[in-house]
Amino acid sequence: MSNLLRKLSLKIKYQTNLYLFVDYRAQIGIRFITRRKGSLIAACLAIAIAILVVQVNSVIFQGLYDAIVRDLVNYRFGHVFISKRGDFISRSDFMLVNWLQRIPWVQAAAPRLEYSALSINSTVNGQLIQDHNAPVPVLGVKPEWDMAASTLYQTVKGQYVSYRNSIVLGQLVQRDLGYPQIGDTVKIKFKDQFGNDVLKRFTIVGISATAGNQGNDNGVIINIDTLREIMDRPSQSSEIIVRLNDPSKASDVRDLFLSAFPSNADRFKAQTIEEAAEVQLAGFRSGIALINLVGFFGMISSAFGVVTIQMMQVTSKTRDIGVMRAIGSKRKDILLVFIFQGIVIGAIGAAMGTGLAIGYTTYAKETHMTFNGSLALEVKYNWMGLVQTDIMAFSLAIIASIYPAFKATKLQPVEAMRTG
Amino acid sequence: MLEVHNLEKVYGEGDTAVRALENINFTIRKGEFVLIVGSSGSGKSTLLNMIGLLDRPTSGKVIIDGIDTSTLNDNQLSSFRNSKLGFIFQFSNLLSDLTVLENVLLPRKIEGTEESAVEEAKTLLRTVGLEPQLNKFGNKISGGQAQRVAITRALINKPAIVLADEPTGNLDSLSAETTVHLLKSLNRKLNQTFVVVTHDRPQFGQVDKIITIKDGKIVEGELEAMA
Repeated sequence: MSNLLRKLSLKIKYQTNLYLFVDYRAQIGIRFITRRKGSLIAACLAIAIAILVVQVNSVIFQGLYDAIVRDLVNYRFGHVFISKRGDFISRSDFMLVNWLQRIPWVQAAAPRLEYSALSINSTVNGQLIQDHNAPVPVLGVKPEWDMAASTLYQTVKGQYVSYRNSIVLGQLVQRDLGYPQIGDTVKIKFKDQFGNDVLKRFTIVGISATAGNQGNDNGVIINIDTLREIMDRPSQSSEIIVRLNDPSKASDVRDLFLSAFPSNADRFKAQTIEEAAEVQLAGFRSGIALINLVGFFGMISSAFGVVTIQMMQVTSKTRDIGVMRAIGSKRKDILLVFIFQGIVIGAIGAAMGTGLAIGYTTYAKETHMTFNGSLALEVKYNWMGLVQTDIMAFSLAIIASIYPAFKATKLQPVEAMRTG
Repeated sequence: MLEVHNLEKVYGEGDTAVRALENINFTIRKGEFVLIVGSSGSGKSTLLNMIGLLDRPTSGKVIIDGIDTSTLNDNQLSSFRNSKLGFIFQFSNLLSDLTVLENVLLPRKIEGTEESAVEEAKTLLRTVGLEPQLNKFGNKISGGQAQRVAITRALINKPAIVLADEPTGNLDSLSAETTVHLLKSLNRKLNQTFVVVTHDRPQFGQVDKIITIKDGKIVEGELEAMA
């Protein structure tokens, strides 16, 4: 079969003489490199691996970043996060949620109230165990609304909070309390806004556990009305989380809300997820930039590999260069021969790298890649990034060919033929 | 017409300077078959490199078809070599990554006139008996065949002067005899000037002129005496 193909290609090549009319510098450049399979494979692999490294970095670190953003949206902030500067929101949550849900891009909105308990304890096998990590973060939710605006309920083994004395323990709190089970009770001590201790007993209905502890694993979730009652803050909320059916409209929803509630008395603060989670994300973004930098340094190392291989090509082709110069090739023609070699290396390397990168991305996406049981990466096909990396790798292969090509032009024909 | 005036080539400087050629003067007319002979290291190949514009002389002039080549820059020299000179080297020096046909066409490709040259190249290769080898790569044919391809390559641009450096030096006696016969018959048939460097003068039989080089100088009297 391969013999037949070879004969067919030779027939096309020579009977039509098409190949004879290709620019001779391109033809010789391509022949020089494609007939040295070892050099070609090594140079192309250098380029392909550089692309793969950048893409692997992107899949892992951008995937991790996107996964963190995804979980922050799902569990903590929504796409738009509304709070009040320095105080609790005192406007009716019914009114605010209803207003927000009239915006076409809003899928759901829900109020939340955050507080800290002084201590929490449970009795397991007759032994009283107090959570030593107190104070314990307490999140008050309105169950039906929260299940529409957040996926926090999906992290719960058992049931989400429903009735007034139900509680969902984070898995770390459960661990610190000696692993009380669903149906067991816990006692929590609060301090109300007037400084009075309030002791309250809850029945465990579920345990919340998330990969990478991105959810509410180190806190507890109770009914918002119970928490309002304990804090003596009827109808108040610390935030409204807003889930959008089109996340790209987050800024529009934020602006709409702020223009609708401009009052100084409200002092609302509305933020997109990127703004709300700035503290958590800023450091990570710097890390991604650093990793990308490392990837691009790797790419430059590959370029040095191409330089080395091209220099070897020039050395092994010294006599041919001399002959070409003797029969009339100009210096720029010799330059172009080796630049064309760089183009071939860049093109094949970029194609191989793209194939490997897409293969790896597909594998990571299909297997919901995780590391050590941490959160699953949010893998996306970043076509623009891949094209940019390809262009950069392709350009580097050509740039890496310039110096060897320049060295080749410096060979005097008589010297080249003598030493080649 | 090729004129060489007061040609001198010195390698190195000061105490280490080596005078490879000194006071070389001769004229070769169109259509002549000329031998440059001399012992190893006498300077005959250096002289051929000067005539072939592959190297620049320290002083003196090489005038080809009335053009003083010392006034040409590097690019002009390349174009001049391509259009006026044909080269045949001792080791044939085919590009191993090109086929026989592509090797022959290379000077025309460099000139940018390969479209009209394919049939010419095939005819020339037929003349030298290499048509069946047309699509073989340069390193897949015998030494004698490679030298005949090199001769064809040297002729494809119809150069004014064909320069051959020990064209039979690397061949067995039968191939060498065939090559000499081919060169001389092409010289008669095409009326092109041939300048051949050799250390085996008898192999070429009767020629138009012989230039004998010894220690970088033309040996007095031998130029005319052996012609």
